[in-house]
Amino acid sequence: MSQMVQAKPKKRGGIGEFFSKLWSQKQLMLMSVPIAIYVFIFSYAPMWGWITAFMKYNPKNKNLFDNPWVGWDNFKWLFNRQEWLGVLRNTLAMSLINLVFGTVSAILLAVLLNEVVTKAFKRTVQTVTYLPHFLSLVIVVSMAQNIFASDGAVNQLLLSLHIIKEPVFWLGEGKYFWWLVGAINVWKEVGWNSIIYISTMTSIDPSLYEAASIDGAGRFQKILHVTLPGIKSTFVVLLIMNIGHLLEAGFEIQYLMGQNLVIDWSQTIDVFVMKYGISKMQYSVGVAAGMFKSVVSILLLFLANFIAKKLDEDTLI
Amino acid sequence: MKKLLSVLLMLALVLALVPAAIAEEEPITVSVFVGNPREQPTPDNKIFKKIEDELGIKFEFEFLAGDLDETLAIKIAGEDYADLMDGGNSADTLINAGALINLMDYISEEKTPNIWTHIQPYLGRLLYDDGSLYIIPNFGRNYNAQIQNYCNGPAFWIQKQVLEWAGYPQVKTLNEYFDLIERFIAENPTNEDGNPYTGFEILCDDWRSFCLRNPVQHLVGRPNDGDVLVDINDNYRVEAFVIQPYAKPYYAKLNEEFHKGIINKDTFVQNYDQYIAKLSSGTVLGMFDQYWDFQSATDALVTAGMDKYTYIGLPLVYDPEYVDGKEIEEHYLNGAVINVNRGYGISVNCPYPERMVQLFETLLSDEWQTILEWGIEGEDYYVEDGRFLRTDEQKKNSQSQPWKNANTAYALMDGLPKKQGTRDDGNAWEPGNQPELYFDLMSDYDKDFLKAYGYKVPADFFNPPIELAPYGEAWQIDYVNEPDVSIAETDFVTTQMKYLPEIIMCDPAEIDGKWDEFVQAVEDIPISTFIDYMQEQVLKLVEKANGN
Repeated sequence: MSQMVQAKPKKRGGIGEFFSKLWSQKQLMLMSVPIAIYVFIFSYAPMWGWITAFMKYNPKNKNLFDNPWVGWDNFKWLFNRQEWLGVLRNTLAMSLINLVFGTVSAILLAVLLNEVVTKAFKRTVQTVTYLPHFLSLVIVVSMAQNIFASDGAVNQLLLSLHIIKEPVFWLGEGKYFWWLVGAINVWKEVGWNSIIYISTMTSIDPSLYEAASIDGAGRFQKILHVTLPGIKSTFVVLLIMNIGHLLEAGFEIQYLMGQNLVIDWSQTIDVFVMKYGISKMQYSVGVAAGMFKSVVSILLLFLANFIAKKLDEDTLI
Repeated sequence: MKKLLSVLLMLALVLALVPAAIAEEEPITVSVFVGNPREQPTPDNKIFKKIEDELGIKFEFEFLAGDLDETLAIKIAGEDYADLMDGGNSADTLINAGALINLMDYISEEKTPNIWTHIQPYLGRLLYDDGSLYIIPNFGRNYNAQIQNYCNGPAFWIQKQVLEWAGYPQVKTLNEYFDLIERFIAENPTNEDGNPYTGFEILCDDWRSFCLRNPVQHLVGRPNDGDVLVDINDNYRVEAFVIQPYAKPYYAKLNEEFHKGIINKDTFVQNYDQYIAKLSSGTVLGMFDQYWDFQSATDALVTAGMDKYTYIGLPLVYDPEYVDGKEIEEHYLNGAVINVNRGYGISVNCPYPERMVQLFETLLSDEWQTILEWGIEGEDYYVEDGRFLRTDEQKKNSQSQPWKNANTAYALMDGLPKKQGTRDDGNAWEPGNQPELYFDLMSDYDKDFLKAYGYKVPADFFNPPIELAPYGEAWQIDYVNEPDVSIAETDFVTTQMKYLPEIIMCDPAEIDGKWDEFVQAVEDIPISTFIDYMQEQVLKLVEKANGN
């Protein structure tokens, strides 16, 4: 009896509260309407094109439904390709390398800059490190191709330091490819990625550092016990977002730098889709690959969110 | 009387107005997509202004930037076509996607006599089974005698200075070629600026990897059939030559040269731009390529006055030792090939298809062809004793890119149907083929070079063109309508680009194993999908040719 009495007001409060909250936030709601419309038009509406993944689509047919239905054939073709597993492996490997090295290097740079007292120096380093972010990858890759050529700067340096005896064929051997991509990404994005960590660090309460100093903490202990915990929530949120993008290892670098000599190591899902889906006009296969990527990405995102929740961290959703 | 006069005046006025009204069609602006990178013509371009004044048609060009297949695929997906579409080497995809209109609806002997004369002899090859035609070929329609002053297609190329250094020898076989390069490089490891020479380059960039894939068919004495070899003596049997036993000696030879340092590792990872840059620097002694593919490097070398670093094509064949002691006759030059499905098509989005066909018709007239190819008489060329000639100034102009952008319609010309060969008055249709001009335009170095050999033109290094096989050249056969064939072909190319460099770079002891692995990988594609289709198409074309 008492349970029922308790349950009733709770239920009524649920709906009532929702509407009264909605009303009290009406300005905010109004402001988000354009965003919702934008997302609907550009993110949800185009999704109906996914049905072409189950067709043998030919642009010649002016009416979409003139294309024959083929069921799961496009997916089967994709998964039966002998290189598909390799493509998946490359995508995940390069993505993980980018994620780990990208994050670690950004945090490292942010921590180092946070310790710098001279403002002018700090500003200069920050500007210099984030400028490459604005370079086109076409330029970055051709620079890398020159630097890593047989007679390029890297080989000449290593030769003159007597670390190697013969020039290393950086661009032509598959085993180096993932790491080259990782290195290019770090070089290009480290400054940019560190901005968010630096800004988080500036918002850490200075009294925490003072208290730590009074307790006798040295510089490294302060980094370990004040700075790093201070950026933990930012780190987790970014990590969850990045895990959602795990199947996007990038397209440009692999596309520009991946010759056929290293194709077993360079081909990612996006490059594969470009090659067969677009250039060979197998649009349906391209859509199927895109669908596969989206579904896996959403699953990964929820998984990461779930784990973060279990660990009692801030979550995204 | 007064009345009569006014009536007469009226009549005169009307009569004067009528032709003007007919001639002056409404001025239109036509959008044009060109599947090749080109420079924009200047806004006040002389020839385009003439076309606008006389035909009322203005052009707006979009030139290719980036990869052709991707650009077309994206245009097709969005049905975003220009009025005139030149799909370059991938024009078949446009036809397959239904992007172009059937021109036969507008072409007939009465309505378009020029076009009719132009295509009539080739209708059997040009028309689809349902009698449709989407593109009037832009090249390969020769009137009277075909002129071939130089080899525009495939050959083994060598820097002229190497031959000069060796005392102008005749180089006929693969071994002689590499032997010469080795000897030259041993004595001259660097050029005058101290930059080291590279003996032999192999371009492996995307579709241009034909430099790696194609040579073997020529070494055994066939013209260019792309990725397959057609045995005309064996009922047009088609085979993938690159996996045949006779292909192995070539790659083994390249392996040998690689280990001698004649071939550099980097050649397998450089892209087209880097390749052209390297050729333009004058440090590459030789390569297998097609002339048009590296012409920009030649132009750069000529502009820089480095004539001795430019290339001459050599029609190499296998030494008898590689082919059971057989002497092979070279057949690099082929009879004129009608460039099927290359050139402008009229897109389904074009609001004035009839007028576009009439434009082709008008521009195909002798008068307009002369203007488009030669320019304006008195300004761009002069006529002496019936011969079309150019003054030194005019010659210089014709080689200057900025001048061409302002004074020629070459941006449009590439994709237009055009007359080639010889005019009825004996002049060449194209200035580049006019023998007097060709010889005059050569540098003194080139003239002396050819004189030393006793030749008149570079084509004299080759046997005269053989008669074109009834199927044309097999690389023209398209398979965009056959996804399986198309994918098999892509895989075939990819497999070659992956394994052949490995074979060239591997330890000589491993060649046999690697070769077997390669052959297996090609057969696993399965390559038969591609070969069977090509066989079927070749036989179909032969039958068509015999039928007509």
